[in-house]
Amino acid sequence: MHRVLISSILLSATLAAAQQCRSRASWPTEKWPEALVNPTAKAAELQALEASLFTLVGKPEERKGYRTNGLVVVKNGAVVFEKYARGWDATKRHLSWSVAKSVSSTLVGVAVNQGLMSLDDSLCKHLPEYANDPVVCAITVKHIVSFGSGLQWQEEYEDKGYQVSSVIAMLFGVGHKDQLKHVLTHRKLREPGTQFVYSTGDAHVVGTLAKRALTAKHGADAFWTQLFQPIGMKDVVVEEDAAGNVLGGSFVYATPRDFAKFGYLMLNDGCWDNTRYLPAGWVQAATTPSEVFRANRGDCSGQTLPANEYQLPCESTPNGFMWWLNRPPAAGVDKPWKDAPDDTYAALGHWGQRIIVIPSEDLVIVRTGDDRDGSFPVNDIVKAVLPVVKP
Amino acid sequence: MKTTCLTALAALVLAGCAADDPKLRLYDNNDLELAVGNAAKMTCTCRFVMQMDEAYCRDWVRASPNVARFSVDTEKKVVEASAFIAWPARARLIDDKRGCVLE
Repeated sequence: MHRVLISSILLSATLAAAQQCRSRASWPTEKWPEALVNPTAKAAELQALEASLFTLVGKPEERKGYRTNGLVVVKNGAVVFEKYARGWDATKRHLSWSVAKSVSSTLVGVAVNQGLMSLDDSLCKHLPEYANDPVVCAITVKHIVSFGSGLQWQEEYEDKGYQVSSVIAMLFGVGHKDQLKHVLTHRKLREPGTQFVYSTGDAHVVGTLAKRALTAKHGADAFWTQLFQPIGMKDVVVEEDAAGNVLGGSFVYATPRDFAKFGYLMLNDGCWDNTRYLPAGWVQAATTPSEVFRANRGDCSGQTLPANEYQLPCESTPNGFMWWLNRPPAAGVDKPWKDAPDDTYAALGHWGQRIIVIPSEDLVIVRTGDDRDGSFPVNDIVKAVLPVVKP
Repeated sequence: MKTTCLTALAALVLAGCAADDPKLRLYDNNDLELAVGNAAKMTCTCRFVMQMDEAYCRDWVRASPNVARFSVDTEKKVVEASAFIAWPARARLIDDKRGCVLE
């Protein structure tokens, strides 16, 4: 009896500790404190950082090389480095591209935290217009935040034929007016939860799920009242299509300093100023390779399919709930960012948008850019920043 | 006979598996339609959400084929685009939370 009682007390204490938020001396809700790196003591490291991130190549119209628009580095809760280029400054919102996916999955976390949604819910619970569609109803929230809807999707961009891309058709072509419908009328490729397919379509659905759950209780501005404003992201824009669906896979805009606040929320386990916005354990789950990823990360056979078939990419960077992780994707394979600590995770977007979080360094890095010639590698950003912030 | 039946069954099973394979899907978009949709939407967000200047935005939205022509109404916060006087597209700013929508 005593043993049961003691076990219960220990379990309760453990759960309570997991629920508790980390305390900080201050929170940057109103403004980031600054503790800029000493330019004399770190002259060589700063020079190397700027050479790596801010050196332009060729003529602007050629769109060559890496083109950084902004870099904000937050260490121990303060901005230690900040620079803008190419006409950008601290006041301007930047397009996130697929960084939006991590924002969308996190908004689902906010809904789960408030008891408005469960990871085990069928999509149909929140999208009742699809209640008679067995393909959609078989997909759970957990499947889709893990890129595991099982729907056929061809995630291609401007470097492939436009008629092949499910994304371009959705954003600007035949599917643009009702993008939720565009996604959910794709045929089932695999059983939900069994196949990782990186999909802007899945992320759009995730954004709309979060909107449906949160706005039903809190009204049209729920994203802002329930997350963005409390953590000081004052100027966030989340775009929608003409049917009111959230374009949660692509179109979120914020200043780099506000994106850093989003990274800081994750760094602090979903807490902000003693309030928990994400359930205890959410960040851990979101930054662990998902069951879907571990089940099947794409076509890694090395065989090339005939031209009339779509070859799923073999994904080499593990993914949790729409966060990219510095873990080996499979036994015997290297982690993706070799110079970054193992606990590094990131929100990554087209043309080089990055929010990089490194808990072991108490570090958040936001890089915005316009890389049309291959995106700036995460590893190279971390490799350039770490020497600058090391004591 | 038994071997023939088993072979036929195996062929049917394989055909069934093949039908589940990801065949390439093609979308009914023409390049001009995509170009004007991109120009209208991305110019709208570049000007009214990111608040970059006109020269920056013209370069930023440049796509291939570079056929879209567009006009910006800064009063109404609307961008209209077309290609060869056809394929019209229109994007407008909704508000300062929801940005631009491609109509």
